[in-house]
Amino acid sequence: MSAIRIRTERYVEEARRGIADPVLRRALSGLQERFGRGTAEAYRRLPEGPGLRQTAHAIREKAIAHLDILLERLARRIRENGGEVFFAATAEEAVGYCAGIARRLGVKLAVKGKSMVTEEIALNPALAAHGVEVVETDLGEYIIQLAGETPSHIIAPAIHKTRNEIADLFAQHLGIPRTTDPPRLTHAARRALREKFLAADMGISGVNLACAETGHISTVSNEGNIRMATTLPRVHVAFMGMERIVARLDEYEIILRLLCRGASVQDIGTYVSFIGGPRRPGESDGPEEFHLVVVDNGRSRMLADPRFREMLCCIRCAACLNVCPVYGRIGGHAYGFAYSGPVGAVVTPLLTGIRRGRDLCLGETLCGACKDACSMDIDLPRMLLELRAILAEGDPGWGVEPSGGLERQAWKLWEGLVSRPALYERALQAGAVLQRLLPRTPAGWIRRLPPPFSGWTKSRDFPPVAAEPFRRRFAKRRKEADRG
Amino acid sequence: MAEHREETLFFQTLRRALGHPPNAARPAGDLFPAEPSAEERRLLALVSGRSEQEREEFVSRLAAAARPLHLEVQALEDLAAARDAVLRLVAEKSPEWGGEKQLVAWSHPLIESLGLAEPLARQGIPLHLTRPVDSALDAAAADEERRRQRSRIAASFIGITAADFCLAETATVVLRNRPGEPRSVALLPSIHVALVPRSRILADMKELFALLRWEERFRTEGLSNYLSFISGPSKTADIEATMVHGAHGPREMVVFLVPG
Amino acid sequence: MDTVTLFVPCLMDAFRPEAAEAVVAVFEGLGYAVHCPAEQTCCGQPAFNAGYRNEARTAARRFLRLFGDAEAICCPSGSCVAMVRHHVPALFDGEPDWRALAVRTAARTFEFTEYLVDVLGRDDLGASFPGRVTYHDSCHLLRGLGIREQPRRLLRRVRGLELVEMKNSDCCCGFGGAFSVKYPDISTALVADKVEWIRESGAEAVVGADLGCLLHIEGALRRKGLGVRALHIAQVLAGGR
Repeated sequence: MSAIRIRTERYVEEARRGIADPVLRRALSGLQERFGRGTAEAYRRLPEGPGLRQTAHAIREKAIAHLDILLERLARRIRENGGEVFFAATAEEAVGYCAGIARRLGVKLAVKGKSMVTEEIALNPALAAHGVEVVETDLGEYIIQLAGETPSHIIAPAIHKTRNEIADLFAQHLGIPRTTDPPRLTHAARRALREKFLAADMGISGVNLACAETGHISTVSNEGNIRMATTLPRVHVAFMGMERIVARLDEYEIILRLLCRGASVQDIGTYVSFIGGPRRPGESDGPEEFHLVVVDNGRSRMLADPRFREMLCCIRCAACLNVCPVYGRIGGHAYGFAYSGPVGAVVTPLLTGIRRGRDLCLGETLCGACKDACSMDIDLPRMLLELRAILAEGDPGWGVEPSGGLERQAWKLWEGLVSRPALYERALQAGAVLQRLLPRTPAGWIRRLPPPFSGWTKSRDFPPVAAEPFRRRFAKRRKEADRG
Repeated sequence: MAEHREETLFFQTLRRALGHPPNAARPAGDLFPAEPSAEERRLLALVSGRSEQEREEFVSRLAAAARPLHLEVQALEDLAAARDAVLRLVAEKSPEWGGEKQLVAWSHPLIESLGLAEPLARQGIPLHLTRPVDSALDAAAADEERRRQRSRIAASFIGITAADFCLAETATVVLRNRPGEPRSVALLPSIHVALVPRSRILADMKELFALLRWEERFRTEGLSNYLSFISGPSKTADIEATMVHGAHGPREMVVFLVPG
Repeated sequence: MDTVTLFVPCLMDAFRPEAAEAVVAVFEGLGYAVHCPAEQTCCGQPAFNAGYRNEARTAARRFLRLFGDAEAICCPSGSCVAMVRHHVPALFDGEPDWRALAVRTAARTFEFTEYLVDVLGRDDLGASFPGRVTYHDSCHLLRGLGIREQPRRLLRRVRGLELVEMKNSDCCCGFGGAFSVKYPDISTALVADKVEWIRESGAEAVVGADLGCLLHIEGALRRKGLGVRALHIAQVLAGGR
């Protein structure tokens, strides 16, 4: 676990940093403007209409409910085709398996396509510790690898970097004359990575979606880097979150169409590859060995909990990131783990610790934009509310103690007040009087609230409690009307 | 076997999580139907009943879908025209990485019938054909043959493949994997030329999957062990969201629609 | 005479009673008698959103007891109605009688603009309110209840009112209940954008159907010294009487 960086406790601090970063703001604002609106339009233009998302949800739900059967079939097919399948219960097992292959084959250089599950299990540092140079080949991932950073968006990992920063990085690491021109920068990366592709001993990829019936895993990219990484080196290791599977090819087709629209407002990614095993006799390229590593790493716990099983329907398209107002201001790094945005707010606490990730569960407005944008029609706000209930009331199954202290007492007090209208009104009256002690504006709004409410008044005025609340006015009116 | 035990535990965990007895593998039931669905039957009938004229109408759909993808589509009346189109490309384009002009092409009847070898030979331009690796070779010799092929493919500035299918809706070229038809021909050279027989133009992915799953002619090979969908040259927008064509795969792609 | 039972959002009761009075005025202007149970307090949403479901259940039970018999319940708050419709029934999973009551009551609970336009079939209330106004789509109203056109229809029939759409009217204002206090930096970043879009629209007032949003937006407008008013739609629809 040591290589895996979990920084969920830094949510507030990192959020502040993200908010204060005008480059990030501009980049995410542009992304959300284009992709957020674009995806909604793309769903509307589907021949089946946006209702296809509900169909997709049912397909994924069914797959999850039969995960054991589907994975068994997938593994059988791949093995029949000469591939190997390893089922890893933990991150360590997954990483260890890959390191074992690297050791056995004397791998010195590995090229890698973008894969969130490999971020999750911290594959790169583990392989580096075994003496393997791992080169990220997705341009965005390549850039942040050179910068020594982590991705800030699932589809556009380097969204937070300016062309100036990239120019500096490339001038420094690739030894090219400094340029900020995207085509020239891209070409420099193309040239540098071409050599790596041709020299690599191992190719590593993720899996966008597997099809159990035919025994294939599929990958989607626009750059062609995943095809390069899974064709040229002599061994290909594919990492798959265990839930990323559907039963049949015709079901797969629906999910793929939604994935491409949700991820990048495309009808289809430039390269979609279906891989069923290593190269066959007589073939002159393709890997000698194909290994599929199926990763649990906490997913079976989500599977076992009917409240959170739905989250396994997620295909990591990142459509939710592209509409989330919170993500759009704070950026991906605030979420402190591989998964950011609304998907991260649910998945990260479930995978890395609910109490530890409490700010991810609570630091959202539940505005619901994510649910509307989700390509699989997943009810993310519902699960955030469930996580909040776990934090408040505790849950032995998830190892969470009920919250104690002031907050619990405050809600108990609130419960008492809302149950006793006379007392409730008295509390309002007291509020109306006591607020006069607080610094106020000429209009009577409150300038500064005492802690723990002072957060509001740092940047906003707070409304005064009315001298006479509505129910009292209405009751008075009724009394006058009755009298008159 | 340690691996076996891990796997057993993995599946036990899954079954338990789903509320099933952990030790018994569950039957697949009707998860993997042995017959096409009503919708798939409809698609199969649609494709088999399609006239040549109807397929011609797909060509304009294909061209329209291809344009924003920077994918060039040329509808050619015969193989001679295709040959000339290739030769034009060879004349107009320069090798991206310097060096002399070389081409690589699949060992495929359609490509061989283009008759490119002679005109290219006259210009002193090598045309490498990727033959299957001979099964009679021992491991070391086979590896050597693969290395040789790869270095020829990497040195070529144009790679010519055929295509199993072409999907009009998304301008997608579909390539299955076979000996003598290596994937890297559509990957390493800077320019990818795909020859698509007109009879193989389909409307969309739904039709393709129905055919690959159920149609007599195609179902045995199925997807093959590596099915590629290619919808244009490679691209990226990872630098300040600016679209650039030519990330890692070919930076240019041309589809030649040919009779057949 | 037809009666409508008014469920007053706790925020409106405490902070903006004149908006509730406007609701009453609108209904009475349409010839309806307004019944407002004096003992009501809260539907339980604040506790529910914070994860304190037991406490939320207490409040919800009280709400159901008080309103369970009403024929038609109107509540001028998208978030309260979303709570009653989507979450209160599920709070009583395992208590079939309460659950049944919750489902029945939810079916009879309507948001204010929804009630006027969809149930009563009215959009012209004879109101007048001169000025340029922009409308904020609150999250629970828009995405939770699917109510988007009804408020706009009502506003367009107000004499003298010029309705201008602001940029991203459907983007969250950053209130989110306790979120606005517990995560002030993020909340502020969101409302700062909302305030900017309001300013860009040139409107003299921002109108909405959820008081939480409005108080939050107004708090930011005031701190910035911008003279834009923040009004509940009822206050506009009661205008000119």
